[in-house]
Amino acid sequence: MQLSVNGRSVAIPDARAGDPLLWVLREELGLVGTKFGCGQGLCGACTIHVGDAAVRSCQIAAADAAGQAIVTIEGLAQADGTLHPVQQAWIEESVPQCGYCQAGQIMSAAALLQAAPHPDDAAIDAAMAGNLCRCGTYARIRKAIRRAGTRMEQKP
Amino acid sequence: MRHLSRRLLLKHAARFAAGVTVFAATPACAFNPLPAMPTRSMPEAEARIAWLRLLPDGRVRLLLPRQEMGQGVSVALRQIVAEELDWDIERVEAVLPDTASIAPVKSTVGSDSLKDFAEPVARSAALLREHLHRGGDSAEIVDRGQPVSLRSFRPDGMRRHVGFGMPTEQIVSIVTGAPLYAGDIRLPGMLFGMVLPAGASISVPGDDVKLVTLSDGCGGLLSAHPAALHAAATRVKRDQAPRPMPAVDIDITQQRGDLEHSLRGDAVNADAPWTLDRRYDIPFAAHAAIEPRSAVAQWHGREAAMRLEVWTGTQDAFFVRETLARHFGLSTGKVLVHGCRIGGGFGARTIVRQELEAALLAEAAGQPVKVQWSRAAEFIDGFHRPPSSHRIRARLDADGRIADWRHGFCSGHVIFTSAAMPRWMQMATSLVKDPGVARGAVPPYVAARMRVGFSDIRLPVDTGPWRGLGAGPNGFAIESAMDELAALAGQDPLQFRLANLNPQHERLKACLERVADLAGWAAGPRSGRGFGRGLACGIYKENSYAAVVADVSVAADGAVRVAHLYCAQDSGLVVNPDQVRAQIEGNLVWGIGMVLNEKLPIEDGRVAAYSFADYAIPTMDAMPAIDIALIEPEGAPPSGAGETAMVAVAAVANAIAAATGRRVTTLPYRPQAPA
Repeated sequence: MQLSVNGRSVAIPDARAGDPLLWVLREELGLVGTKFGCGQGLCGACTIHVGDAAVRSCQIAAADAAGQAIVTIEGLAQADGTLHPVQQAWIEESVPQCGYCQAGQIMSAAALLQAAPHPDDAAIDAAMAGNLCRCGTYARIRKAIRRAGTRMEQKP
Repeated sequence: MRHLSRRLLLKHAARFAAGVTVFAATPACAFNPLPAMPTRSMPEAEARIAWLRLLPDGRVRLLLPRQEMGQGVSVALRQIVAEELDWDIERVEAVLPDTASIAPVKSTVGSDSLKDFAEPVARSAALLREHLHRGGDSAEIVDRGQPVSLRSFRPDGMRRHVGFGMPTEQIVSIVTGAPLYAGDIRLPGMLFGMVLPAGASISVPGDDVKLVTLSDGCGGLLSAHPAALHAAATRVKRDQAPRPMPAVDIDITQQRGDLEHSLRGDAVNADAPWTLDRRYDIPFAAHAAIEPRSAVAQWHGREAAMRLEVWTGTQDAFFVRETLARHFGLSTGKVLVHGCRIGGGFGARTIVRQELEAALLAEAAGQPVKVQWSRAAEFIDGFHRPPSSHRIRARLDADGRIADWRHGFCSGHVIFTSAAMPRWMQMATSLVKDPGVARGAVPPYVAARMRVGFSDIRLPVDTGPWRGLGAGPNGFAIESAMDELAALAGQDPLQFRLANLNPQHERLKACLERVADLAGWAAGPRSGRGFGRGLACGIYKENSYAAVVADVSVAADGAVRVAHLYCAQDSGLVVNPDQVRAQIEGNLVWGIGMVLNEKLPIEDGRVAAYSFADYAIPTMDAMPAIDIALIEPEGAPPSGAGETAMVAVAAVANAIAAATGRRVTTLPYRPQAPA
């Protein structure tokens, strides 16, 4: 079975086609940036992009993502290493504490901003409320989203 | 079983009362009469020098004597080294060492890292600086206790690293998804495994899953495929036999007799009517870190040459090493532990579980094994903040000063946790005050007569240290009582606290005044229909101070929204203000969670939470605006920043009381439409 992951076509054993994409990414492909937080679709740590949408990779079988562009946290930056505006904003706002939920937060934020570079508070809440952070970095996440959105609007 | 004298039991127990957190027991299906004891002391001077290694490229490597769990200790200690050397920060790298690379250090707990390690790290770096100035080019530095000037604690304005904000170490790895956590380790031939808890069984492991018996008699599951293993985890049937749950009810406990442990023993006047007589009840709470505990274990060699290597997210890598060495009959030199960055510690990663499980599974498999607990297991098989029940009775004199203060409470254990102590030792510790339960129970106020005491109750659900330990629950009770007393005295909550504050607590007074200024207390919004403002303050471990103002709005149906939180904190010299602010933000969120969200469901003496659907923690949409002021008294050394602002729990509860006219006496708050 072929999957498109971060712009590359990768071969996955057919036996793994029914596995949650989370485990295929982490253990078959070694892309460990996408995190296991609950495996129950409730914490958001496993958030990736499938097409344009933010998706919980623990809730989608690998086969169900075939034929679509899968992007993980490792694929968010450009090939030359230039960080995505959301990643850059995350650093400038010093968002992470333990860091474990942050890849999922960043992926949810990037999907939000791709759709709308200036979300209001309600839109941020709606898009991000499903990404749990036990360290309590939410205030900084919000600031980073605003900062990144401004930057994304400036660059077409 | 070896006969152990009562004296030995008490000696062991007392060692724990003296500031150690928890120590390992073994899983239910194994037996070890004397468990491993965690390290307590600071390493010798020679070992402290060895935290710093000069690299061939002229940089220096700091082998961190603390574990990193997002509290920012790595970057703060790196800043101290750079300050002492007077180098650009890029020339200093900080790494989490393995247990062979540094001498044993104590567990990373208690918000003690900067308090205990800032000066030793600074001194070691300063000695290196002096050595380099003298033209030393080898690693041979000797600390003879010679005087050396430290740059890190000089007055502001003379420093260029300490006192400045910087993001957490590894931030680029975090935002780009580079491997960081124990669960990110991948080894050739690695399998995925889980240990079946005592009394658990599985009827159908699954096609790709093997059931094995481990060397300690426990059952385990192994698979080459994580999906199959995690799917099997959902099919495990745990022992559901009901367990008797003692009541955690202060009135029942006090009816039975005197409370077991006294913290203040004045004879209060019990004959006259009390001004205030209130009960407060606080439930179990989970740590709910987003990283489920994970470890990878790999055995090397055979027989006499056999060694064990483990990667784990732990607050105490040396304790893991000691426990594993004992369990397998190895010398500690044959066990190598890599303490990885933890995806949320909060006191939960102080016991040895997943590491031992991974080692047993790897032993059975003959291959490396990765263990990652399921979220359900984190709730069911972990330990939790115990419930507590409090009754505060207080009497004011005519001037609104506290004449009598009587606080009795009961709680499950914190330091003497059943998660880590064998049963025979649990019984001994009933004779000793659990310092975790007692934390924050003596208020910072003056009373003519003060009586504070508690009993602890052994519960069938494992309890233990949770962020702040007793400070959150005790602070909630004390600051709620103070708030209500202020109202009964017809006094402003701030003025009432200032009037009753123990005069030795100048630093707490400064926090109260600063937060009042920050929040515009004197001229600011008054509580009115649907809106309330509340105040709380507290001291953490006698060295760190905070005051919080909360503004809440209450909807017609009683639903509460925290609109704004203000916090003034004094945790002494601030090495990294950005990281200290982040810790405060975290505590404020935990305070919101304590009031509005968190209650671990218990049924028949067992945890009945299986996912985040069963245990709510605060989410983005519940976040208020936050304003923080840091107070740094001149000359105060760094003290703890990671747990102090938990007093926010009472500020929020007091704000709800101001808005609704009803005191919050049971957590979490449940909305009620106005009468």
